[in-house]
Amino acid sequence: MTATTLPVTPARRPPPWRDARVLRVAAQVAVVAVIVGVLGYLYDNLITNLRIRGISTDFDFLDRPATIEIAYSDFRASQPVREAIRVGIKNTLLVAAVGIPLTTVLGTVVGLARLSTNLLVRSAAGLYVETLRNLPPLLVIVFVNSAVFLELPRIGDPIDVGGFLVLSNRELAAASPVAGDQLAAYALVVAVALVVSIVVWRRRTRASEVTGAPHHRVIWAGLPLLLGVVGGYLLLDAPVTLSHPAAVGRGISGGVAMSIGYGAVVTGLVLYTSSHVAEIVRGSVQAIDRGQTEAAEAIGLSSAQRLRFVVLPQAFRIAVPPMINQFLNLTKNSSLAIAVGYAELAAITLVLISQANPAPQMVLLLMTIYLVISIVISIVANVVNRHLQLVER
Amino acid sequence: MTATLQPPVAVVSRTRWARENLARTPMDAALTIVFGLFLAWAAYRGLRFVLVTADWEIVRRNLRLFMVGRFPPDQLWRPWAAAYVMAATLGFCTGVIAAVAATDPRRAATSAASTRPAASVRSGLRRFWPLVVFIAAVLVLIRTPLPGVLLIGLVAVVIACRAVGRRLPGLARWIGVIVAAAVLLALQIVVAAGGVGWDDWGGLQLTLFVTVAGIVLAFPMGVLAALGRRSSLPVIRVVSVGYIELFRAVPLVAFLFIGQYLMLYAVPTSVDPPSFLIRALVVIALFESAYIAEIVRGGLQSIPVGQLEAAQALGLGPVQTTRRVVLPQALRNVIPAIVGQFISLFKDTSLLAIVGFFEVLDVARSVPSQPDFVGQGLSSITLAFAGFVYWVGSYTMSRESRRLETRMGVGTR
Amino acid sequence: MARPIRARHLIVAVLAFGLLGAACSDDDDDPAASDEGTDQTDQAAGDDGGDEPSGDGLLAEVRDRGTLQCGVNDAVPGFGVVDDNGDFTGFDIDFCKVIAAAVLGDAEAVEYVPLVAEQRFTSLAAGEIDVLVRNTTRTASRDGTEGAAFAATTFYDGQGMMVTAESGITGLDDMDGATVCVLSGTTTEQNLATVFNARSLSFEPLSFDEVDQIREAILQGQCDGWTSDRSQLAGLRSAWPDSEGGPDGLVIFDDIISKEPLGPAVRDGDDEWFDAVNWAVMSTIIAEELGITSENVTEQLESEDPAVSGFLGQPTGEDEAVIDPGLGLEPDFAVTVITEVGNYAEIFDRNVGPDTPLGLERGLNALWNADPPGLLYAPPYR
Repeated sequence: MTATTLPVTPARRPPPWRDARVLRVAAQVAVVAVIVGVLGYLYDNLITNLRIRGISTDFDFLDRPATIEIAYSDFRASQPVREAIRVGIKNTLLVAAVGIPLTTVLGTVVGLARLSTNLLVRSAAGLYVETLRNLPPLLVIVFVNSAVFLELPRIGDPIDVGGFLVLSNRELAAASPVAGDQLAAYALVVAVALVVSIVVWRRRTRASEVTGAPHHRVIWAGLPLLLGVVGGYLLLDAPVTLSHPAAVGRGISGGVAMSIGYGAVVTGLVLYTSSHVAEIVRGSVQAIDRGQTEAAEAIGLSSAQRLRFVVLPQAFRIAVPPMINQFLNLTKNSSLAIAVGYAELAAITLVLISQANPAPQMVLLLMTIYLVISIVISIVANVVNRHLQLVER
Repeated sequence: MTATLQPPVAVVSRTRWARENLARTPMDAALTIVFGLFLAWAAYRGLRFVLVTADWEIVRRNLRLFMVGRFPPDQLWRPWAAAYVMAATLGFCTGVIAAVAATDPRRAATSAASTRPAASVRSGLRRFWPLVVFIAAVLVLIRTPLPGVLLIGLVAVVIACRAVGRRLPGLARWIGVIVAAAVLLALQIVVAAGGVGWDDWGGLQLTLFVTVAGIVLAFPMGVLAALGRRSSLPVIRVVSVGYIELFRAVPLVAFLFIGQYLMLYAVPTSVDPPSFLIRALVVIALFESAYIAEIVRGGLQSIPVGQLEAAQALGLGPVQTTRRVVLPQALRNVIPAIVGQFISLFKDTSLLAIVGFFEVLDVARSVPSQPDFVGQGLSSITLAFAGFVYWVGSYTMSRESRRLETRMGVGTR
Repeated sequence: MARPIRARHLIVAVLAFGLLGAACSDDDDDPAASDEGTDQTDQAAGDDGGDEPSGDGLLAEVRDRGTLQCGVNDAVPGFGVVDDNGDFTGFDIDFCKVIAAAVLGDAEAVEYVPLVAEQRFTSLAAGEIDVLVRNTTRTASRDGTEGAAFAATTFYDGQGMMVTAESGITGLDDMDGATVCVLSGTTTEQNLATVFNARSLSFEPLSFDEVDQIREAILQGQCDGWTSDRSQLAGLRSAWPDSEGGPDGLVIFDDIISKEPLGPAVRDGDDEWFDAVNWAVMSTIIAEELGITSENVTEQLESEDPAVSGFLGQPTGEDEAVIDPGLGLEPDFAVTVITEVGNYAEIFDRNVGPDTPLGLERGLNALWNADPPGLLYAPPYR
C-alpha cells in the first residue's frame, strides 16, 4: 500500500468583503467613526454657539461667589459656587441616608403583611401597595407637602408634643441628644459594658449548646449592658442631655430640625418606594420552594421561627438585587425635591444656572455627580450580593 | 374511558373560614380587631371626603384643563374626533385579537363561557372597574349634557368595534397597519388645517401623547442597544454598555434640564430651533430606551443556546437568526416587563410639570390659584383628582399586564 | 432567496413616512397660541421704501416667519397673565404687540412663550424666543455673561418686600430670622441676600419657580414675607382673595431694596434687530411726548407740526420727504403701533394705571417733562 497524500490546498483567505475578521474590525471602526463624528459635530456646535453668546466654556465659574443663599443651611452668598454644589450633594445624601433604612423596614413589614393569614391585614397591606405603586412619586411628594405638611399650624402656634416633637408648617423638630462634658468617660463605660455583655452572651450560648439547658442569654447579657448605660449616666454628671426644641420667634431652636420640604421628600419617597420593596419582598418569599416551609413545619418550628430561620434568610438573598435597584431609584427620585423647594443637588443646579452660571458645564457636573453616586451604590450592592451568594460546589 | 376524577374540594363552612382567616391565634384575633377598626375608619373618612366634604366644583369647572390643557374651546371637536378614532381602533383591534385567541386550541376550554353578552358585560365590569369608576366620576362632574353624551358614545364605540373585530379575525395581520393609520389620522385631526400644534397641548392629552410617542421612539433604540450589549465586538459592546449605564444612572429630571437648557446650543444657528416638546420627547425616548434595553437583554439571555445552534445548523446568518429566531421569542417573553416600563413612563410624564409643561399635575397645582378658588386650600382636592387619574391609568394597565402574563404563560414552557 | 414584500409592510412604511412628514411640517406652521386671524401680514416685510434689512439677521428671519416669538410671563396680573382660553393680557404683553406691530405690521402676529424666571436667558440665548418682555431687570452681568442686550426701559421699578397685614411686621429691620419667599432665578434672590446681610439680619430664603407656589406659601403662613419687584408685588396684591382681606390684607413696605429697571431684552450680536426693537418701544414714549394717542392718530396724520408728521412717516417739510432713519422698519411703523396698541400712557393706564386693580401711579414712569417729572426721555426721531 502506497501512502497516499491528499492534495492539500493551501488555506486562502476569502476576499476582504467576506472575511469575518476584516468585517469585524471594519464594523468597529465604522461605529467609532460615526459616534465620534456625531458627538464631535454636536460639541462643535455647542462651543460655537456658546462663544457667539459670550458664555464661558470653562469651569472658572466654580470659584465665583454664588450670590444666593440656601435655606436651612450655613451657606452664605459670598461663598463660591463649588460650595453651593457641595451643600446640594450633602442634602441629596441626607435624603438617601434617611430614606433607604426607612424604606427597607416599612417595605419588609408591608411585604410580609401581604402574606399574612389574616384577611384584614392582608387587605390593608394590599390596599397600601396597590395605591402607592400606581401613583407617580412626584405626585406623592407634592401631595404630602401641600395636603399634609402645609396644613400644619403656623410657626407662632405649632403642635408641641411634650417638648419632644414640635411640628409647624415651616419646620419639624425633634429632641436630640447633646454631648455634655463627661461624654468621653461615659462612652468608655458603655463600651466596657458592651464588651462584657458580648462575652457573657457568647459564653451562655456555648454553654447552652453543650448542655442543652436554656441559655436565657438576653437577660444575662442585658444586665451588664443596662448597668453600664444607666449606672454610668447616673454616676457621671449628665454626660448626655436632651435638647428640646421650642418655637422661638419665627423659627425653632433646639433639638434637630428639618424643613418641611425635606420632610415631604423623605416621607413621599419612603411611602412610594416601600410599596415597591413590599412587592419585591412578597415575590421573593413566594419564590421560596414550598418544600422548605413544609419541611420546617414538619420539624416543629412555629410560624415565627419558620419565618426567621428558614424563609427570610433565603428570601433575602433573592430580594437583595431588586431592592438595591429600588434604593438607587430612591436616590435618583430625590431630584424631585425641586417641586417642594428643598435645596438638593438638582434644585441647586437649576438655581445656579439661572443666576448666570453656564448651563452646559453645570449640567455636565450634575450628570457626573449622579453617575458617581449610582456607581458607588452599585458597587456596594454587588459586594453585598456576592457576599450573600450561595457557595456552591 | 371514564373522565379523570377531580380531587375532592373541601367544603369550608363560614365559621371555619372566619377562624382560619381572621382568628387563628389570639394575637391574630387582636390584629383582626385592630385592623378592622382601622380599615373601617379609613373607609369612612375616605368616602366622607370624596362624597361629602370635598367641594369638587373646582375640578368640575376645570375639567377641560385637566383633560386637554389650554386647548382653545372652539377647537375641542378635534380632540373628541381623535378620541373616537382611537377608541374605534382600540375596540376593533382588541376584538380581532380576542377572536384569534378564541380559536387558539390551548385556550378553548377557558374562554368558551365568555361569549354570552350578559356574562361578558359582568366580566368586563369586573375587569375594568377602575376605568368604569373613573368614567362614572367624570360623568357626574360634567354638568352640560353634550360632553356626557360624547363620553358615553365613546365607550359605546369601543364596545361596538370590539364586536365588529370579533367577527373579522382574518384581519389580524393588518393590525399594525390599522393602528399606524389610526394614530396618523388622529394626529392630523388635531393638528392639521388650523388645528393646534402639539406644543400647545396639555393635560391628559399631553400625558398620553408623550407616553405613547416615548415608548414608540424608545423601542427600536432599546432593542439595538440590548443587541449591541451582547455583541462580540468589543467597541460596540463598550459603547452600548456606556450608553445604557449612563442613562440609567442619572435621574430623568437632569435629562429634562439638558433638553431644556443644553440641547439648543448643540443645534447650529442656521436651523430653526426645535420646540421644547420635541426636545423633551427626544430626551425621554433616549432615557426610556436604556431601560428597555435592559429588559430586552434579560429576554435575550433567557433564550436557550440550543435555539442559536439550531438556527446555525439551518444555515441562517447572524442577522437572520436574530430577526427570525431570537428576537421574536425574547420580545414575547418580556412583553409584561415592557408594559411595566410603559406604565412607569406614564407616571414619569408627571415630571414634565417640573420643566413647565401644562400637564395633569401642573394643572392640579396651578388651578387652585384661579381668582375664584384662591386661598381656600383646594390643592388637596385637585391633587387627589390628578392622583386618581394617574392611578386609574396605571392600575388598569398593570392589571391587564398581569392578565396578559397569565394568558401567555410567561415563565412556563 | 427573494422574499415577497408584503403589502402591509409597504403600507406601514408609507404611513411611517407620512407621520414623519406630518410631524416636520407641523413644526413650521405651528399657529400662535392666541391668534385670531394672524394670517395676512398686509404690510409686507420691507418691500417698499426703507432700507432693505440684511438678509441673515433676526429682523429678516422674523419677517419671513411672519410671527414674533415673545418670551413672557403668564402669572403676574397687570404685566403678563393668561386666562383659561389661552389669551394673554398685560403691560409686557402690550409691548410684545408694539414690537410685532412695528416689525410685522400686525399687533396680533405674536406667539407668546411663557417662561419661568430660570429659563429666561437660556431661552433667549438659544434662539427659542426673539425678544424677552418679562419683568426683566437690566444688570451688568446680564449685559455681559448672559449675552443679552436691553432695549429702552419700559418700567422703572424697585425691589420691595410684602408681608401680610396680620403678621404685624412693620419693616425690614423687623424681619430678623424670617422666612422670605422669592422667585428663583431672579435678581431679587441675589438682592435679598445682599440687603439682609448688610443689615445683619438672619433669614431663610425659600425659592420657588412659580408665583402660584409662593402665593400658596404666604397663604399658609410658611413664609413671612415675599420679595419681588414692587410692580409685581402690586399686581399680585391686587388679585389677593377677599377671604384673606383682599388687597388690604397685604402690606408693601416703603423700603426700596434695589433699583429694578425693567425692559425688553434681545440677544447680543444682532444690532439691527436691537435697533428695531429699541425704537419700536421708544415710539410709544415719543408718541406720548408728542400727544398722539390711538384716538387722535388719524387726525395727527394731517398735522402741520413737522415733528409729528416726521415721526408718523408722513411727507414733511417743503420737499415732502418721508423720514426714514434706516432702522429696517416701515417709515410709518409708528402709525401701526399707535393705532393697534396705543402710546405709553394708554398702555400704562390700561394695564397698571390708577384705574386698574393694581392702581399704580406713574411715579418714576412719567415723562421727563411731566409734573411731577419722571424718567421717561426718548431720543429725538430724526
